[in-house]
Amino acid sequence: MNEKFDVIVVGSGACGGWASMELAQAGMKVLMLEAGAHISAAEQFHHRRLYDLEFRGRGRPGLLRRYTGSERNYRIMLDTVENPYTTSPDTSYRWSRSRCLGGRTLHWARAADRMADYEFKAASRDGYGMDWPVTYADMKPYYDRVESFIGVSGEVLGLPQFPDGPFLPPMPLNCAETIFTAAAKALGWRSTHRRLAQLTQVHHGRPPCHYCGNCVNGCDVGAMFSTISSTLPPALKTGNLMLRTDSVAARVRVNGENRAQGVTYIERYSMKSVDVDARFVILAASTLENTRLLLLSEKGGLANSSGLLGHYMIDQIAGGGVSGILPKLKGGPARLDDGKSAGITIPNFQNIDKATERKDFIRGYVMNATGGQTEYPEYAASLPGYGSEWKKEVKSRYVAQARVWIAGGEMLARKENFVELDPEVKDHWGIPVVKIHFSHSDNDRKLMADFQNRAEEWFRKAGGEIAPAMRRGGPAGFPGGPGSPDENFFGGAAKASGGTPVLGGAIHEVGTARMSASSKDGVLDSYCRTHDIPNLYVFGGNAFPSTGDKHPTLTMMALAARGCDHLMENAKGRLS
Amino acid sequence: MAVTRRDFTDICWRACTLPGFAAWLNAQPANYEPKFFDPEDFAALESFTEILIPTDDSPGAREARCAQFIDFLLDASEQDPNAQAAWRKTMSSLRDLGYHAASPQERGRLVEQMAQQDDPAFRMIKQLNTFAFYTSRPGQIETLDYRGNSYNATFPACTHPEHKVL
Repeated sequence: MNEKFDVIVVGSGACGGWASMELAQAGMKVLMLEAGAHISAAEQFHHRRLYDLEFRGRGRPGLLRRYTGSERNYRIMLDTVENPYTTSPDTSYRWSRSRCLGGRTLHWARAADRMADYEFKAASRDGYGMDWPVTYADMKPYYDRVESFIGVSGEVLGLPQFPDGPFLPPMPLNCAETIFTAAAKALGWRSTHRRLAQLTQVHHGRPPCHYCGNCVNGCDVGAMFSTISSTLPPALKTGNLMLRTDSVAARVRVNGENRAQGVTYIERYSMKSVDVDARFVILAASTLENTRLLLLSEKGGLANSSGLLGHYMIDQIAGGGVSGILPKLKGGPARLDDGKSAGITIPNFQNIDKATERKDFIRGYVMNATGGQTEYPEYAASLPGYGSEWKKEVKSRYVAQARVWIAGGEMLARKENFVELDPEVKDHWGIPVVKIHFSHSDNDRKLMADFQNRAEEWFRKAGGEIAPAMRRGGPAGFPGGPGSPDENFFGGAAKASGGTPVLGGAIHEVGTARMSASSKDGVLDSYCRTHDIPNLYVFGGNAFPSTGDKHPTLTMMALAARGCDHLMENAKGRLS
Repeated sequence: MAVTRRDFTDICWRACTLPGFAAWLNAQPANYEPKFFDPEDFAALESFTEILIPTDDSPGAREARCAQFIDFLLDASEQDPNAQAAWRKTMSSLRDLGYHAASPQERGRLVEQMAQQDDPAFRMIKQLNTFAFYTSRPGQIETLDYRGNSYNATFPACTHPEHKVL
């Protein structure tokens, strides 16, 4: 007799953590399966300077290539030898993942922006793709619920394309951000503090940020939202949540009544296969892992009557941007510029209505900027010269560094971007892996080119001196340089063998099981329940019919919250 | 008054915090035995790194022990044979230029000449030496005065009116 729960939640990231908390608090008996290791912030997250680390943050040469991450944080990333994936010959896509309790919430960029009707209904405006089967009015209560719990610092703007929330006070601007704000104003562009799930005051018992700038290595006090700091403690407190780490979900089992019976998982170390049953199954293992599980669960893919499972994979456009210095700041005193690891943002101001319509591309992007001192002066090695004068110049520029980068450049959803199961390659547990087919469209490239021009315009308006593009990883002979096995890890391989830029830098992969009003047009309904299996929900980026230009996590969580409400009604038998 | 063991310990700790003492301690030869480079190459590399990042009114490659870090890193690069081979070639080219046998003044002239010619060996040493220096405590904290990765009660806002106007 298999163990039986009310709900099995596969995955412990932003959506898995949220669903487990809400359902456990509602009295449901929940089993959370996490494929990776247990993580304890108190035991594993520390402030460590680069010189406290044996290899100054880069890890033992040749070792870290099996992990996605640095010497500081590779334990909260993923072992790529255990967890391979493949790409088609013409695809160059870097899929950044985490397999551990909390998943990518442990090191995410914390950007928490709401999507708006100009994104949910973009197809109605410009004729491309498919509208979402939800409106902003449908989503607003769930954005409110999620933001009120996780805590988002920001500034109320009143822009319809950038909806406001119940914000905590924003973090102050540093000198570079103040200069960029003045430059944006001069250009007629509205800028604001980046909206981040990073506390600026005590919130639900969690302490405020202490401005160490160490967010991507795991927050030791829980001042940034993560599963282990925020949703898991109250979920465990109910006594209704059973947490199993090191449990690798292999497939969803379906019974003869077309309902999900439960999940089969493999114990990570013993390799033992275990069946568990539940009234409801929620896949929340990350976008592509969710789709992989559906593909693994039935020949042709579970819940795939539309034939669209795996298709319409989308990511946001990354790369490009401008870096250099703001001469106004040169030679100034040292300041804690990178302590909040934040910046300012310019919400998209193009293609939002007829007046701002572009003729050369559809959709839009968001620009971010920051500056000042950083942990390591990346520019130093490429600064000409040596000796005392060179040292003085390095120091003089150190506090004047500045950069503008793209955030949330919308990539168009296209059916030909898809994932499938690789027919040959399997992971450490013998489970077939995903194969990714992915490329950009002309519209994506035009949008990126427009961003690059605007970024340079903003940078110059701020009085900035643009530096030549810098390579990370260094020359041949430097561990991580060309020819080195660590080349990919250090970012040295900016281009794949065919000269195609490596995609996936945004780490915002969504789609592959999109939501739709009709079961013919997608895999999920507007509550993230599969059209085909009434007790199977998929939480994550899978549902997105388009990317919009916002960071996706907050919308994924709001969709999960909405899905949880639906599931609870479903459990009470109140749904048809 | 008798000096107790506690007094002695206290004096030692206080001495360690004096800037001059710390600089003296850092400048002492560490009796380091290179693991990747042979002793002659290591000595040449050490002097090269100290010309690139000299000790002046702030610490340099000597205090940061940059050459030791480079040796350590390459010794640990057994899975990165390309990097090891490139460095052997670099040191060999330095030897061919006569760097190893040169006087301190001649070494300075050679480094200048290599810099002017954008010599690949110069670039390679500069790249890793820069990394070794600015990731060390003498480079990151004592030279650049990096403030992050620490606990702070507040984030320091820009207080410069001149930054609010272009």
